[in-house]
Amino acid sequence: MRIGELAYVLALGAGLGLASAQWAVTARPAIGKVEIGPWAAWPAGGSREIDPYLQAYLARGVHLPLGAGEGMELIAETSDDGAALEARCRYSISGATPAARGWTLSVSDTAGAPFRLALERSGFSDAEIVRGEDGAMAIVAAFSPQPGNWLPLPSEGRFQLRLRLYDTALSIQTGDARPALLPQITRLDCR
Amino acid sequence: MRAAPIVTARQPSAWQRLRRSVLRLGWLTLAGLLLAGIVHLVTVLLLPSLARQDAAHAYLGLGSEGHADMPGSLAPGSLPALQEADPRVVTAICAYDLTGGPVRITARAGSLPMAITLHRSGGGVVYAITDRAAIRGLLEFQLLTDEQNDERLAQDDDGEASRELRVVADSARGLVVVRVLAKQPSDRLDAEALATGVQCGPAG
Repeated sequence: MRIGELAYVLALGAGLGLASAQWAVTARPAIGKVEIGPWAAWPAGGSREIDPYLQAYLARGVHLPLGAGEGMELIAETSDDGAALEARCRYSISGATPAARGWTLSVSDTAGAPFRLALERSGFSDAEIVRGEDGAMAIVAAFSPQPGNWLPLPSEGRFQLRLRLYDTALSIQTGDARPALLPQITRLDCR
Repeated sequence: MRAAPIVTARQPSAWQRLRRSVLRLGWLTLAGLLLAGIVHLVTVLLLPSLARQDAAHAYLGLGSEGHADMPGSLAPGSLPALQEADPRVVTAICAYDLTGGPVRITARAGSLPMAITLHRSGGGVVYAITDRAAIRGLLEFQLLTDEQNDERLAQDDDGEASRELRVVADSARGLVVVRVLAKQPSDRLDAEALATGVQCGPAG
């Protein structure tokens, strides 16, 4: 093998290998992802059997995922119709939440950090929301003030909704998580 | 007598040369892709152990006073903030190192939901327990390595099982993470007191 050919193989192997590894761990991996309607969870992240891609992703920053017996974090980046969540739109988050000792629903940027808004409300807990007669929750996420449970959004850009269930009976591994058990995210209108 | 015919080596045509070069390039590319696959896997597998910006390194000094510390309570900006954290949850951390002996964790349960998790260095949650497991308001367990657990078992009196909860960690270093959910903004101070009240020290 000539030097030129060896250099070609090494450059291709190292370049493509490192670049693909970097790409694979910059975001939460598709491996180990469980989708329930618009919500996604990575249940292995909170156990001993964490998969290498998620482990590498978490090691790149200061992350401490919820433990398997502690709770569950569900992330939504789209509404029920599959469209990306956009701050220029108004969304209704309604329906049931699985049995849990407590839950929080928060809005964050695409990296999971809360927005710095004039009104300091990045989310609700189960003890704070005003419920309807049927006991179900009804939250409206929008830029402009809304009656009832209003979750303020920034003026524009993509965002995420994060539902964290603490000490929950819901188990993703056993397959009892269905979209009907989780809140629906409906797009109402857009500016 | 007839002269023997002269045999001359046939020169490969330009087409054959091109074909051979393309074939060789194909094989070299295949070898490069194979190497890329190996480099990819090795990089992904090595990343957690080589990472120096992960939580285990960032919060290595927390808990040295014998109780869990909140990363935000120290001098502002001295420690990196926890990423993807729930703004409603108070987190306090105690770094453990079992090379010096087992560690005892003692927590007092309050009215707010609390959970204690053990995150090993390099990633993965070894153990999680909530305050629902508290006995008479107290949650207590000993954290030890496999060898230390064997030693303790040998020291236990014959036929008498230890009443103490022992958790075997598969890595000698890691973080004890205490999370308390402040359901209302007014619960925050109580949550901070509960979280930082978790004791972590040598089991003796």
